[in-house]
Amino acid sequence: MNSVSPSAVQYVGGVMQDELVESRRQQPLDGQGSFGLRPAEPAREANGEPDELDKLKSKLMTAWNNVKYGWTVKSKTSFNKISPVTVLGNSYLLNSEDEVERFRLAFVSRIWLTYRREFPQLDGSTLTTDCGWGCMLRSGQMLLVQGLLVHLMPRDWAWPDAQQLTDVDFEVFRPRSPVRAGGVPIPSFGSPRGSNTPEKSLASDQVARCSQKKRPEYIRDSQAETIHYKLVSWFGDQPPAPFGLHQLVEIGKSSGKKAGDWYGPSIVAHILRKAVAKTSVLHNLAVYVAQDCTVYKEDVVHLCDLSPSQTPPEPSRQAWKSVIILVPVRLGGEVLNPSYIECVKNILKLDCCIGIIGGKPKHSLYFVGFQDEQLLYLDPHYCQPLVDVSQVNFSLESFHCSSPKKMPFNRMDPSCTVGFYAKNKKDFESLCSAVSEALSSSKEKYPIFTFVEGKSQDFGLEGHSSNNSGPAAHILPPGQLGMSNNRRNSDEFVFL
Amino acid sequence: MPPFDKTQVQSKPFKLRKSFATRKQEVAAIRSKFPNKIPVIIERYEREKYLPPLDKTKFLVPHELTMTQFVTIIRNRMALLPTQAFYLLISNSGLASMSLTMAQVYKDHQDEDGFLYMTYASQEMFGH
Repeated sequence: MNSVSPSAVQYVGGVMQDELVESRRQQPLDGQGSFGLRPAEPAREANGEPDELDKLKSKLMTAWNNVKYGWTVKSKTSFNKISPVTVLGNSYLLNSEDEVERFRLAFVSRIWLTYRREFPQLDGSTLTTDCGWGCMLRSGQMLLVQGLLVHLMPRDWAWPDAQQLTDVDFEVFRPRSPVRAGGVPIPSFGSPRGSNTPEKSLASDQVARCSQKKRPEYIRDSQAETIHYKLVSWFGDQPPAPFGLHQLVEIGKSSGKKAGDWYGPSIVAHILRKAVAKTSVLHNLAVYVAQDCTVYKEDVVHLCDLSPSQTPPEPSRQAWKSVIILVPVRLGGEVLNPSYIECVKNILKLDCCIGIIGGKPKHSLYFVGFQDEQLLYLDPHYCQPLVDVSQVNFSLESFHCSSPKKMPFNRMDPSCTVGFYAKNKKDFESLCSAVSEALSSSKEKYPIFTFVEGKSQDFGLEGHSSNNSGPAAHILPPGQLGMSNNRRNSDEFVFL
Repeated sequence: MPPFDKTQVQSKPFKLRKSFATRKQEVAAIRSKFPNKIPVIIERYEREKYLPPLDKTKFLVPHELTMTQFVTIIRNRMALLPTQAFYLLISNSGLASMSLTMAQVYKDHQDEDGFLYMTYASQEMFGH
């Protein structure tokens, strides 16, 4: 565990060759511009040699980190052509080129936020990377950025430069066929865009051709492009970025967390709420985090409704704030309670759903959809070098993922946070009814969370006459129960 | 003082500490004395790392108390912040709807021995 033999390193180097192709692609040499290059870096030698050595070192580090933190480079993801795949409220039946193309745009247009290294030191620590600890914060960032995408972009926005899908197979599965039908690990990750390597499946070849044919039809929306850049820059790994890792770690300190700690989906929900409340880049958006699996509608209204008392005099401002609703839940004890699977699927089918942050045990993922009995996710466990988002036209490529991954529902960790977005009051009303309906689909007797009219204060202990504050509950003297006096104290009933 | 110390190290679940007959008898005794109270066992999820242990496991709860109120009482006993994750799992797997009364939950989920079993847990942390 704590020592790595040279042969092991070589092995890593070996299997990661395609990975290296990937990182080479991301080097500035290929004319892509500023990706990975920090122009102001003083340490760079004019002499090419140390530079090359650095690059090799950094490639090896990337490769090693990606093995270490679980990025599965080799495996292909197989998609069933005969049952729909759902991505955040939209379904695609992958039996035609058009649908595959729509699926590609839907998936690759999501913003992918991963581990990064060589970023400015986090305040109060010596860490310059979040590799190995920050995955839940990254998943949280992906959930928030998805909320911001639907908040700021046209509903059907797709990234015109979305990469081709890699490491995917489209097959006809019979209901019980194995998860990864291919089985043979063909590392085709990272083939440069536009040139298809021979090991690519026929299916993705076709996809590539068909989409290239279509590409010129896109009309570039320069306004959307500007917002796209701006959005990604808000999540940059630099201290001033309002939703960057530095800012989130800083906010997490008030919850007793620090750089290098592990985070949970509930803590991250609160960090996101505070980050949105704190920033000056967004005025018309609030984040509500449900407590105890309950969304109190009046509390949401209170948060969003700017009309009667608190309207600021600016006429430009709407009377209702858009809202991201985050619901931290626990869908079971040690493992996911299988009766909730149907419900999770129905939630992911909803238009208003912006995804779920959770993961496999200890390994955070951002769930954006599902197919059959498998969740579709974006994985933050891929250590990439810092991108300086303050540069004009920085490369967006490393912020989008071309390789969709799936995992079985039964491996999902029960701890997660579900996210929703409502643009206005009407949206919020329909969100409440749509989500309630999706929740009622659970085979478990009770839904995983509920919407309640009224505000949380009304449901606290005030309504319960005998108990105005919790600790007032008293312990029944043992004698009163007629039980023997030598019983242990802990064995008494607490009388509420 | 010794009895108090013991509560901290009690790791065996209530069900394993006492035989079915004993538990059943206990319920019968308390129910006859307090017919309008529900006997509830609350234990910490065995792998829970973040929430403190509760000093008591046995609670007698009024029928009309809602889950929300009940959770608030338990949260207060542990002095948790409102933003701290806290979940009560019924019979170690399902979440109870917060608007339900204890009587409703008891009706659906009481154990054969007559107790209602609940486990409390926060959320797991992720990092790898």
